[in-house]
Amino acid sequence: MKRVLTGFAALVLAAVALAEDPALEHWSKIYEVFSHPRCANCHVGDDHIPRWSGEHYGEPQPHGMNINADRSRIGAESVLCSTCHTQQNSPEPHGAPGAHVWLLAPVEMQWWDKSSREVCQQIQDPDRNGGRTLQAVADHIRHDELVHWGWDPGPGREPAPYSPEEVAVFIEQWAGAGAVCPEAS
Amino acid sequence: MRQWGEAMNITVNGQVHTVDVEPEMPLLWVLRDELGITGPRYGCGISMCGACTVHVNGLAVRSCSLPVGDVTGPVTTIEGLGTPESLHAVQEAWIEHQVAQCGYCQSGQIMSAASFLMTNPNPSDEAIDQALSANLCRCGTYPRIRQAVKTASAKLRGDAS
Amino acid sequence: MSRLGKITRRTFLIGSATIAGGVAFGYYMYRRPHENPLLDDLAEGEAALTPYVKIDAEGVTLITPRTDLGQGAYSVQAALIAEELDIGLDQVRVDPGPPAPAYYNTALAAESVPVRSTNDGAMANTVRGVADAVMKFAGVHVTGGSSTVPDSYEKLRYAGAVARETLKRAASERTGLPVSRLKTEQGAVVLPDGSRLSYVELAAQAAQVEPVTDVELRPPNLWRMIGQPMQRHDIVAKSTGTAVYGIDLAVEGMVHATIKLNPRQGGSLQDYDATEALAMRGVQQVIPVTGGVGVIADNTWRAFKAAEAIRFDWGPAPYPNDMDEHWAALSNAFNEDQIDARRRDEGNVVEALDRASEVVEAEYRAPYLAHAPLEPINAIVRVNPDRVDVWTGTQIPRFVQANVAKIVGVDSEQVHIHNQMVGGSFGHRLEDEVVKRAAELAKALPGTPVKLVYSREEDMRHDFPRQIAMARGRGSVRDGRVEAYDLGVAMPSVTASQLSRQGLNVPGPDLQIIAGAWDQPFSIPHYRMTGYRADGLAPISSWRSVGASSNGFFHDCFLDELIHAAGADPMEERIRLCWHEPSRQVLETVKAMSGWTGPRISENRGRGVAFCLSFGVACAEVVEVTQTDRGIRIDTVYVAAEVGRVLDPINFENQVQGGVIWGLGHAMNCEITYADGQAEQTNYHAYPGLRLYQTPDIVVQGLENGDKVLGVGEPPVPPAGAALANAIFALTGQRIREMPLNKHIRFV
Repeated sequence: MKRVLTGFAALVLAAVALAEDPALEHWSKIYEVFSHPRCANCHVGDDHIPRWSGEHYGEPQPHGMNINADRSRIGAESVLCSTCHTQQNSPEPHGAPGAHVWLLAPVEMQWWDKSSREVCQQIQDPDRNGGRTLQAVADHIRHDELVHWGWDPGPGREPAPYSPEEVAVFIEQWAGAGAVCPEAS
Repeated sequence: MRQWGEAMNITVNGQVHTVDVEPEMPLLWVLRDELGITGPRYGCGISMCGACTVHVNGLAVRSCSLPVGDVTGPVTTIEGLGTPESLHAVQEAWIEHQVAQCGYCQSGQIMSAASFLMTNPNPSDEAIDQALSANLCRCGTYPRIRQAVKTASAKLRGDAS
Repeated sequence: MSRLGKITRRTFLIGSATIAGGVAFGYYMYRRPHENPLLDDLAEGEAALTPYVKIDAEGVTLITPRTDLGQGAYSVQAALIAEELDIGLDQVRVDPGPPAPAYYNTALAAESVPVRSTNDGAMANTVRGVADAVMKFAGVHVTGGSSTVPDSYEKLRYAGAVARETLKRAASERTGLPVSRLKTEQGAVVLPDGSRLSYVELAAQAAQVEPVTDVELRPPNLWRMIGQPMQRHDIVAKSTGTAVYGIDLAVEGMVHATIKLNPRQGGSLQDYDATEALAMRGVQQVIPVTGGVGVIADNTWRAFKAAEAIRFDWGPAPYPNDMDEHWAALSNAFNEDQIDARRRDEGNVVEALDRASEVVEAEYRAPYLAHAPLEPINAIVRVNPDRVDVWTGTQIPRFVQANVAKIVGVDSEQVHIHNQMVGGSFGHRLEDEVVKRAAELAKALPGTPVKLVYSREEDMRHDFPRQIAMARGRGSVRDGRVEAYDLGVAMPSVTASQLSRQGLNVPGPDLQIIAGAWDQPFSIPHYRMTGYRADGLAPISSWRSVGASSNGFFHDCFLDELIHAAGADPMEERIRLCWHEPSRQVLETVKAMSGWTGPRISENRGRGVAFCLSFGVACAEVVEVTQTDRGIRIDTVYVAAEVGRVLDPINFENQVQGGVIWGLGHAMNCEITYADGQAEQTNYHAYPGLRLYQTPDIVVQGLENGDKVLGVGEPPVPPAGAALANAIFALTGQRIREMPLNKHIRFV
């Protein structure tokens, strides 16, 4: 009984926090970006399978052709990502996207299939964010070429929302407001 | 990337060629239409079938999607991998198993297999199914491709020891 | 060349004692129903009597008129000749020869008449004979319908035997030794003392002797090549990138072209603006053609990019815009007025279903499907004042010849077809729109060879797909057995659609509407098959196994439903129902191969069986599937097929495995749908077929009990999807009645 009450109280608090906490408002925009297919499709877990989505694929689904980027996260064990993904987006409809480097995010940075709370905790854990401070995360988004691909994904793909600069600012604002994470939903 | 109108050198199968083309022209069309090297085939133009596969710096790439201006090293096509008189081990295996039907995809299958076996000389069945699933064959020669990759792997390891 | 010139030249070649060149032999020597086409194209110093074997100073050439689409047809045809000629395949060249009525296809006729292939009665053979005569009259030189092997099996061996015996007669005349003391081996006549006279040495003399046409074919127990594994003659070229396909060909002075046609197949071009395209590097001209424009450039890629830069105003589609309307047209076709033919009506289905306590009813669907062979369609055409040359890979060279002649405005005899190696067809190259468009472009650029290459997207948008089809089944069971089976199939007529593009009007019913369903060798007390015709849909064409590709799925899956409803075993009940001994053997064989013990193998594994008799070949397949956490995996397929004789076990296995993969891949993963009148799938991202990781082990066995030798390119296709759907039902209880199956199942 006590646990139920606690849970209920937490839900109420969370609802109040969601309505009022500016940190959570910033975070919800950040999560909107991180969970977008342009980002989450490559932040996959230890199945090492990139995801595909787009007008012909419906919901995001495993990359066709049985592609597996494996532990190397660049497909060195079977088919290198660079076999098809060049240094720029293919100009052809449904052609392979590309950037200067093309690889999956490290496995500990999994966003695919993760809740808002899980991603929120991950992004501020130096063990799981590449040893970065939140300012460094913001700068990474501001400057990294592969991250920027999310806003310039080539023909036929919906870009991630906002812009890299806006997202970097959201992170700075979120950090400034206490970097609060949402409760488990 | 190089600039428009600038002639560029490209090394294909050990031979240097000078071409004057747009740097964004895919390597495939430089090979086929400018240099007359037709072993790499056009199938889809979007890296979906793999028939155009060549090696750049020894690694498999889809020449239909690689701008020639981005080619950073020597190119090897199926013609440079081995010849009817001097076959590469992968080609020997392909012939022994009589893999080809129409044969149109096989240049790319062989180039993909050769690149794969260089980085993974003794692959598991699972790795073979991953490595060769990005090359499409419409005739359905896959059972023989599986066998030929294993035979080629044994040949290459035998040669190395 | 004038007719008189030809006759004079032939008389000269046969009659003159001064020929230095060679000789040509063929089956047609002693029947001679058509002129020998090789006479038209003989170089100085060559002789030709008949159309399958040509010997000149360069060596021996075997003419293999059925196009090799990847099915190994050239090698099989060459082996049939070489077996009787006593020459190794490494000693000959293989040439598809010119298009000619002498190469007419008799076996194809067998599939165009409504006689069950299991029926060998006198009447049946008479009817087949009539169709055969029609084919011969029309001189239809066509590759298709798994007809190459049956058509060639005797013809080509006779050609080899005639050549061999004539060469021996020539050697006899030269040496004074009696023919009975001469032998042949490895491309030479061998004298009693062991010395050898090569065929090349004897060619000139052989051209002067009367050909020996009274020959006997060797019995199969003396064969050295047929039935043994052979190395395909093209296997080294295809493994080293040195094989030259039509798309690889370069002709001196040619320009590169591509095309942009109304994406609504057959719709008109209203207007276009090519200003931007014409300013692009390497672009020479933009030329209107039927339904669109061609772009002439100095490089294929430049032509592609320029074509994308043209703005178009296209006319509407000459068929319904969206899929709902296509399906509605099929659904509405199930009425008395649209009956194409009721080809089977045994017992009394209506009464049996009326009195049945329970009627099983089901509706099945099969989508449009593209052929999408990996080599996009292409052709080179050069129009000169005195002749037109066409380089292309085609299954219908004589139609191509006539169509190009009509477009350019010359006589057919002035059009020379150079048939090219083909990167897959599956029926795609039974169409010749690409050659017609190339001819239009070449006519606008006289003297310049125009190489027209379709982009993948243009190829898929303008494929004439496999028919869309719908089936409705009603049936009943009694005492654990199938009692009544009534199936209606509605589809457009593929034959009418396809031949209309050749200017041919085909009256009467179309056998393809019910092929693969009406003629299945089962005895069911009340058994009825009705075809309904739906007109006005998208233009369609023959796709590997044609009508049977959809109907084999419908017929067998619905039979499976009834067998399950009866509580019978899917394998045992099919065997019990089957009255045709060779077909029953096929089922018994696949039962033994798969170790069949019932549809359920274990907790998470199941199996299904399917059978289809098509193109005369009885083929049964068992598919085994496993439920994994990520989806259904196909583990193994067992295939048994009755083909009369396996000519080359390696090629046979490769063909059957390819057919199974074709059948599975499309049943699982593919459809062509129209939106706003345009095909929505334009490249392999949306039309994946089957890839290696989804490919099961495929265990193949050929049976050789029948008296006819049959081709196996198509028959493994129809049962594949059905056996898979039946296996999924056995495992999950889910009956999927619609292809592609991945609309309902995730496959791994």
